[in-house]
Amino acid sequence: MAKKKDAEKATPNDENSKQDKSEMAEDEEPNFSDPEDYVDNISDEELLGDILKTRPQETDGVESVIVVDGIPQITADRFDKLRNVVSKIFSKVGEIVNECYPKTPEGSTKGYVFIEYANAAHAAEAVTLLNNHKLDRQHTFTVNLFTDFKKYEDIPDEWEPPAPQPYTDMGNLHYFLLEPDSYDQFSTVCNRGSTVQIWLNSVPEPSKLVEKERWTETFVKWSPLGTYFTTIHGAGVALWGGPDFARKMRFAHQGVQFIDFSPSEKYVVTYSPTFEGQGEPKNLIIWDIRTGQEKRSFYLNSQMMWPFIRWSHDDKYFARSDEDMLSVYETPSFGLLNKKSFKIPGIRDFSWSPVDNILAYWMAEDKDVPARVTLIEIPSRNEIRSKNLFNVADCRMHWQKSGDYLCVKVDRYSKIRKDKNEIKYSGMYFNFEIFHMQEKQIPVDSVEVKESIHAFAWEPVGSKFAIIHGDQPNICVSFYGVKTGQTPALLKKLEKKCCNHLFWSPTGQYIVLADLRSSSGVLEFVDTNDFNVMTQQEHFQASDVEWDPTGRYVVTVCSFWKAKVDTGYSVWSFQGKILRRFNSGAFCQLLWRPRPPSLLSVKEQKEIRKNLKKYSAQFESKDRMRSSRASKELVEKRRKLFEEFNSYREKCREKWLEQKPRRLQLRNNVDTDEIENDTKNVDEEVIEFFIKEEITIID
Amino acid sequence: MKPLMLQGHERAITQIKYNRDGDLLFSSAKDNAPNVWFSLNGERLGSYLGHQGVVWCLDVNWETTRFLTGAGDNSMRLWDVSNGKEIGKVTTGSSVRTCAFSYSANTAVMSTDKQMKFNCEIYIIDVRNADASLEHQDPIMRIPVDGPKVTSILWGPLDETVISGHENGKITMWDLKMGKEVHSVMDHSGSINDLQFSKDGTQFISASKDCTAKLFDTDTLELLKTYKTERPVNSAALSPIMDHVVLGGGQEAMEVTTTSTRVGKFDARFFHLVFEEEFGRVKGHFGPINSLAFHPDGKSYASGGEDGFTRVHTFDPSYYEYQFDF
Repeated sequence: MAKKKDAEKATPNDENSKQDKSEMAEDEEPNFSDPEDYVDNISDEELLGDILKTRPQETDGVESVIVVDGIPQITADRFDKLRNVVSKIFSKVGEIVNECYPKTPEGSTKGYVFIEYANAAHAAEAVTLLNNHKLDRQHTFTVNLFTDFKKYEDIPDEWEPPAPQPYTDMGNLHYFLLEPDSYDQFSTVCNRGSTVQIWLNSVPEPSKLVEKERWTETFVKWSPLGTYFTTIHGAGVALWGGPDFARKMRFAHQGVQFIDFSPSEKYVVTYSPTFEGQGEPKNLIIWDIRTGQEKRSFYLNSQMMWPFIRWSHDDKYFARSDEDMLSVYETPSFGLLNKKSFKIPGIRDFSWSPVDNILAYWMAEDKDVPARVTLIEIPSRNEIRSKNLFNVADCRMHWQKSGDYLCVKVDRYSKIRKDKNEIKYSGMYFNFEIFHMQEKQIPVDSVEVKESIHAFAWEPVGSKFAIIHGDQPNICVSFYGVKTGQTPALLKKLEKKCCNHLFWSPTGQYIVLADLRSSSGVLEFVDTNDFNVMTQQEHFQASDVEWDPTGRYVVTVCSFWKAKVDTGYSVWSFQGKILRRFNSGAFCQLLWRPRPPSLLSVKEQKEIRKNLKKYSAQFESKDRMRSSRASKELVEKRRKLFEEFNSYREKCREKWLEQKPRRLQLRNNVDTDEIENDTKNVDEEVIEFFIKEEITIID
Repeated sequence: MKPLMLQGHERAITQIKYNRDGDLLFSSAKDNAPNVWFSLNGERLGSYLGHQGVVWCLDVNWETTRFLTGAGDNSMRLWDVSNGKEIGKVTTGSSVRTCAFSYSANTAVMSTDKQMKFNCEIYIIDVRNADASLEHQDPIMRIPVDGPKVTSILWGPLDETVISGHENGKITMWDLKMGKEVHSVMDHSGSINDLQFSKDGTQFISASKDCTAKLFDTDTLELLKTYKTERPVNSAALSPIMDHVVLGGGQEAMEVTTTSTRVGKFDARFFHLVFEEEFGRVKGHFGPINSLAFHPDGKSYASGGEDGFTRVHTFDPSYYEYQFDF
């Protein structure tokens, strides 16, 4: 309304001014200034809107302002000193354009300061770098972006409970255990990694369940209980499951390279060596599998072997180790247990018992302090056993699968020599320290071996372990038995073997000795009840050996990642009988789908073993039926092929017979269709045969 | 039975062929002297001396009077079988890779390599009254081949067509009346190393670097059967009496030195013609097999290898007894 009035007012004035101008123009210089009562009816926006847009705003540059709280409150006389200190700290990040110290009327500072940087990036960097900067004991800086204050103001006073997520049915993720014939599944990666397949190991031929092109970008992995199938992509990790292998969850983690599941499949750990993006740096993330939420992240520069984070068997705790430090965290809070880490000078490695919340670690020698292996109970942190060891170069901890024993393989030296920064050991010998976990006070036995050790493996069920030792060409495999209250006894020594890897059957008793990644690929199947070598086989250039989870089959793989020709896999029975060979160009990997532990009690399992004869008869008849059906199918298929081909051949023959006159014409009427046809042209020829050579020595 | 070992070449065998009667076996190698042997006892009958380079290919006419060779010395030569004398030769701009007599043996075909500025070409030559003047005569026909070069060749059944196998796996049929391509198929993904007819010529088998051998219909070039192995196939032959196929090949000569003989898989492998299933292997060569041929009576076969040997195997009685269930 106001504008309209102005406009009305303006019209008569305009007329007046025109008249004024025309009168004045004749005698003096025109007056360009507005008359006193002139009202401008064109707004600035209309005239120079484009320039006005770039006009400085009051809020300009707010993004580059930070608020630092927690600076000392001092009186005016020490103000300059404070300003120097503060600006020195904050100018490290970038150039400070402006700073403002609010003061009380008396001139002392109020304990906070506003700092303006040249740009917003510097301000953001200052927040990440200098938040929680400790100036001295009393003063810790709290650094925030000025713009964040608005965000903090907007937090509602009343807490609103989050809306419950609608329940999505994941389907039966354990369907594969309901397979009526108890066939196992396995995944294969072929075609240089571009094709991933899931197979059912059915008899007599495996059947393909799923095949996908480019399912993964690097590798695939089964979760430890077999529930999920994991594929790795540039942008993160995806979990697949259920009968149709649909995607169940995904975890976004750029550049992920390693993954690890917690033993009970509650959490998954992803690790990406490179960190990109903004915010708090993190390269290792722990996710909740069922909700897909990020539970905790770390930024690790660990020298440890993967996995950096190791889980207790029940997912209740996880631990990681830094230099001279062991940190144990609890779930589901993901906080440090008792809010502090253990100080363990010289800790080198640690591992969890597979059945109890017991953690074993070892510390290296330091001057006069011997190396030490210690077992502690979590969460009480009570030390339940420790053992001092001397002349230790390295230690390896091997838990037996059922947690009854822990074997620490100790590499010991008789001489040590320090070459500049390198430590050289010589006169190596090896000790196996066996901790009897089930006995009171955990007695420790030790076995000493003077020869070099190539491999060690516990029998997964039972109390035997096997080692490969010795030097070429006399490589031996020794089996030891562990008993309550006795030192481990040598059960058998197999001499002059050709192997470098040990693979126990998951159910114990049987073991495969394999010579992998060498030119021979020898496989020996040994029954450790009587240490009889059942069969010796070979799979040339085999690179991996995989037992199926039930211990019925062994698969040897020649992977494209290791060899270029004859890639593929062979399936053997546990006795070493070849069942099937499968060759495929650029075959990469085969992984069995794991099974969760049996739900049957030990007593029930024994019962089954006792009545095995009764059951096996059933299964054998089933197998026979299946293979006879298959051979019948094969015969039928062949018959059909043969009939088809024969009818085709008949047609060809008819045509060929029709053409006979023309053929005769081409060859001067000599019939050459059969060798015997052309009898007129036969010449007899005498050929000498060298039948026997006799040498008679004449005296 | 113990195989006959024909030792007479200093270098890798390139091709072997029986004559129509099966009493003679011809062999050529990367040395420059093709040989002829008695197939029955493995005795060498003679050599054909004159070439100055690798002899890539050979053929013998149906009457066993004339012998044809093509070599890396840029020539194709025609020989008298009985006395080893050179009847005539044709010089070309580049290596002669393939050669073959027609059914009537009135004409012959040869193909040259794509080398330097020379293109791959198929020549059709009149050899009825060949003599020393052959060199100065013009061929009946010259067909320039654009694209991948010819690596193996066959005459069609009634001298009307030529079937060529190419470096990229293509198989082409040429009509000689028009001098034009009539039909071609692309069922292989690697170089066609060998083409051989069935006994009646109604089908032929191809051996390819793509690790397979395939059976085709001669008239339509329709793919009938595929035989798969893990190694490049250099040669494949069809038994004249049984429904059997023999394949030979192995790891390429370049890679052989890095592995043991066991890995190279230099076995001759027997497949059933119809079921495409492998049923037997014959070991022996310690280099890839380059050429295979069945004796015309089907009771023996010969293989020539990169190792320079030609082995003649006579089948045991159990070979004829073996039957597939169907």
